[in-house]
Amino acid sequence: MPLSDVYAVASRDIVFESFDGEAVVLDLSNGKYFGFSDSGSKVWQALSSGVGTEALIRSAAGRIDAAAIEAFITQLVEFGLLAPSSATPLPSFDDLPAALAAASEPLHVSVHDDLADLIIVDPIHEVEEPLGWPAVKQVS
Amino acid sequence: MKLSVIMPVYNRERYVVAALRSLIRQRDAADLDIIVIDDGSTDGSAQAVRAMMDEASCIRLFRQENMGVTRARNSGLSRLKPETELVSFLDSDDISPAGRFAADLDLFRRDPSLELTYSRMMLVDRIDDETLEPTRDSTSITVRGIHLSAAIFSRRLVDRIGAFDEDFVQAEDTDFLLRSFEVGPRCALPDTLALYYRRHAGNMTRQQDVQSREFMRAIYKSMKRRRANPSLKPIEGIFELKKLADWQFM
Repeated sequence: MPLSDVYAVASRDIVFESFDGEAVVLDLSNGKYFGFSDSGSKVWQALSSGVGTEALIRSAAGRIDAAAIEAFITQLVEFGLLAPSSATPLPSFDDLPAALAAASEPLHVSVHDDLADLIIVDPIHEVEEPLGWPAVKQVS
Repeated sequence: MKLSVIMPVYNRERYVVAALRSLIRQRDAADLDIIVIDDGSTDGSAQAVRAMMDEASCIRLFRQENMGVTRARNSGLSRLKPETELVSFLDSDDISPAGRFAADLDLFRRDPSLELTYSRMMLVDRIDDETLEPTRDSTSITVRGIHLSAAIFSRRLVDRIGAFDEDFVQAEDTDFLLRSFEVGPRCALPDTLALYYRRHAGNMTRQQDVQSREFMRAIYKSMKRRRANPSLKPIEGIFELKKLADWQFM
């Protein structure tokens, strides 16, 4: 699959946060959650912020192979976390090369589905106040 | 069996008496010890609790400056008596259904190695404060959700899990439950109705932004623990919430 110039978070069902520099991503549509290695967290943060693919690969040069980054992006797209975007690619973060140099783990994302019931329903979905809680988005 | 129920209270004058009555009516089912932690209420919550203590010597009230629900729950844990065998929780605006403790304590009596029961809860919008039952015109749904009151913990398990993580502003209960399940306790999932979870405008869970970040933090911490310690268990087959997916509350 040819890589896109830039990616975006695939849908509003994909929500993510960073704790101590580590990313955690939830897919509210199927309840899966994703954990990242330290380098994977940095790359996820860059890609989900709209950093261009080329700029990312340049930032990682000498630390992570382009082929490894391409494989990682492909995996994130296959998991439904990222989708090709038509936005203008953003330059890489200034501190990304140093962050990747400091990372000790290879690019990796792990997928879990043991909390699916909980994640699909409670309590992340946006609440429309007049409907009260729990108001879960209807499957269209 | 000595059962301690921990109830943090903060400005719940309107509800706390009903919550306590729902426990006291179950005195016959257990050697009940109710630990109320008043977290610096500025309304009449503490007076309301104290008035109940005249008729129910099983209530112990402790007051502290406002420190938030997580520390209040930990204050409760620190007040457990040496003889406490089982631990549960009830929030000061919820109701413990009649028969809730009798049903699950029976399981502990039959199986001395049991460490945790995790039962069902009803979300309900109207409760009659006299009968302590949902009103006829109430809307409700019953699920095996994520709530401390669904659980009765053996003292041994509580000692193993440790305190609530005070890093959490919210979702400390989710974190505590995830930690409980991760250690792979001997656990039963009875159909007991363990809680009427009252829905009203002041529920703390309405603070959605903080809530969702804290919930994700609980999941992140669980992943991290399991990565560091492969002997911990995934948390499969506990929660049954799918019903909520095509249901709207009001």
